[in-house]
Amino acid sequence: MNLPHLLWQNVYGRLGWAVVLAAVVLAVMALRQPPSRRTVLATLGTFAVLMSLPGPWSPAHWIGLAFQRPSALGIALCVLSIEARWSGRTDRPTMPAALAGAIAFAGGLLYLDASGWIARGVYPSGFGPVGAPVAGLLIGVAAAAALVMGRGTAHALALLAAVLAFALCRLPTGNLWDALIDPFLWVWAVVVLARRVPRPRRRRRHLPVTSAGPATVL
Amino acid sequence: MWCRCHNSAGVTRDPQQDNPGGNEVRRFGRSRGTTFALCGVLLMAAIGAEASRWGRETASAPPTPPAVRTLGQEQVVLTPRSASRIEMPRGVPAAHASALAALPGDDLLAFWWAGERESGADVKVYVARWDDGRWSAPRPVVDRDTLGDALGFAVRRIGNPSAWVAPDGRVHLYVVATGLGGWAASRIVHLVSADEGRSFGVQRVLPMSPLFNTSALVRTSPVGAADGGWLLPAYFELGNKYPMLVSFDEDGDPRWITRIGSLTTALQPALVAVSGREMRALMRDHGDDRRLQQAVSRDGGEHWEDLPASGLANHDSSVAALRLRDGGFVMLHNEQVDTAASPRQWLRLSVSGDAASWAPGVDVLKGLPGDEFSYPSVQQVGRELHVTYTFQRQAIAHHVYDISYARTER
Repeated sequence: MNLPHLLWQNVYGRLGWAVVLAAVVLAVMALRQPPSRRTVLATLGTFAVLMSLPGPWSPAHWIGLAFQRPSALGIALCVLSIEARWSGRTDRPTMPAALAGAIAFAGGLLYLDASGWIARGVYPSGFGPVGAPVAGLLIGVAAAAALVMGRGTAHALALLAAVLAFALCRLPTGNLWDALIDPFLWVWAVVVLARRVPRPRRRRRHLPVTSAGPATVL
Repeated sequence: MWCRCHNSAGVTRDPQQDNPGGNEVRRFGRSRGTTFALCGVLLMAAIGAEASRWGRETASAPPTPPAVRTLGQEQVVLTPRSASRIEMPRGVPAAHASALAALPGDDLLAFWWAGERESGADVKVYVARWDDGRWSAPRPVVDRDTLGDALGFAVRRIGNPSAWVAPDGRVHLYVVATGLGGWAASRIVHLVSADEGRSFGVQRVLPMSPLFNTSALVRTSPVGAADGGWLLPAYFELGNKYPMLVSFDEDGDPRWITRIGSLTTALQPALVAVSGREMRALMRDHGDDRRLQQAVSRDGGEHWEDLPASGLANHDSSVAALRLRDGGFVMLHNEQVDTAASPRQWLRLSVSGDAASWAPGVDVLKGLPGDEFSYPSVQQVGRELHVTYTFQRQAIAHHVYDISYARTER
C-alpha cells in the first residue's frame, strides 16, 4: 500500500474543491444564462483564492470535515464542464451514459460492500499491490486508445488524468477506487442515468362524448 | 486545448459537424501522431512509477512466527498486587477509553481521552508514563484544533486512542476523529512519536472507506506480527457494525486492510495470536445474541471466518485480550450479573489456555447497578499484568497482577 504524503493530499484537496465548486456554481448560473468567459475566469479564480486561504479561513477546511477530498475523475469531469462553459460548447454531455453506467454500477458495488451489506473486500482491493496498479494501467491504456482513435476524446482525457493522478502520485488516498469514484460522482452518474430512462408518453385524455339528447325522464 | 474554428465568414462552427466522429482529436490542435506520442509518454511514466513501487515492495515470504508455548496441564494464575487511579488533568470531569502501550524496558504509556464530557469541544487525548512503579502527571497529546490544523481540514470531536510501540522505539498512536456527525462519522488519525510519547506528529488519516472515509474507529490494542509489523484492529459502525484490521509494516506504513468475518453486529475486535499464523478476534456484540462474538484467521489475519458466538455474555461492551509471553491468554470483559443490573458494573479477568474456552480468573471490580467499569486495556511488563479501565466515566483506574502458572488436576 502506497499512500500519498499529507501535504500533497492537502494541496490536491484545495485545488480539487476549487474546481468542483466553480463547476457547480457555473452550472447553476448557466440555468439562467450561459456565463461569459470573464464570469468563468472570475468564478474559478475566486474559488482558487478562497481555497488557498490558511486554516479555517479556507472553505476546504470545512468541506473536508464532511467530505474529505473529491475523486480525481470527479475533478477532471468538472474541468471538462468548466471548459465547456469557457468555449460555449453545449453539445457535449459532461458525463456520457456509458461512463455514468460504469460509475453507477461500480459505485453501487463499492458502497454496498463498504456499508457492510456484502463482504467482498471491494474497497481494500483498491490498495492491492498488483491488481490495483494493473487495473489502473489498463484503464489508462483504454483511455489513451480512445484518445488516439478520437472517440469520446474529452472523457477519455478525464479518465486518463484520473488514472495518472493515481499511478504517479497515488492521489487522492492511495486507493484506486478513490481516484475513480466518490459519492458525489456516483449520485451524479445515477441522476444522468435516471434522466435517460424513457418516460411513458402522456396520452391525451379523451373525454367520453356525452349524448346531447335529452335526458330520459322517468 | 480545444480550439474554436472559424470559417472565412467569421462564423463559429463546430468541427464535429464537418467531420463527425473522426476528427475530435484535432480539437486539441494536435495531430493523431502527436496525441499518440503524448499518450505513450504519459503511460510510460505511469508504468515506470508502478514498476519502481513494485521493485521496492518485492514481497518476501512471511517469516515464521515464533513458537507459542502451550500450557498443557498448567493454568494462568493472577494475583492482585495493586490498584490505583491515574492522576487526571485538573478541572476535567470526564475520562474514558484508556489504551496501554509497553515501552522498551519496564515502562508503560497510558493514553485516554478526557474533557468536560464525551464529544465535548475541550476533549483532549492525554498520556501518562508508568516509570519505576509510578504514573507521571498527565500531559495533553492532541485536541481537535491541533489535529485539524495538522490535517488541513476541521475535526469535530476526538475519541478513542489506540497505541503501539514499534521495534524501532517509535510510538504509533491512532486516534478517532469525527467528521460531520456522531461517532459513526469517525476517521482514524495516525500520529507518531520518536521521543517515547513526549511529542507527536500527525502522519495521516488512514484511508478506510470510500464513503468520504467515513465511519472507521479504533478501540483495542494492536498485535505484533512476526516480521516487526503489527495489526491494528478497527471497526465500521454506520448502520451495520463490522470489525476490520489494518496491517502495518515495521516502518509503520499501512500494508493492507481486511474485514474480519461477515458479521454486521460485531465491533471493537480484540486480537490474539494463538499459534503459528492462527489468530482469534474476540468482539463486542451489538446484536441480539448478547454473547461475545468470535472469528478466526489461519493466515496471519488476512482472511477470516466467523465462529459461533462464545458462551460468555456480552451486552454491547468492549473487551481486551492478550497472549501472555509464557503461554496462556487473558481477557478483560464485563460479566453480566442479571438482567436488571447494569451491563458494565462487573469487570472480570478471564484466563484461557487456547483463547477458545475461558475460565474466570479474578474479578477486577464488581459494583452496584449504575456503576461503570468498562473499556479495559491490558499489557504485560515482565511477570506483571497491567490493566487499565474507565472508572465511572470519571477517571482511569490501574490494577497490577502478578502472573504465575499452576498445574491443574484433570
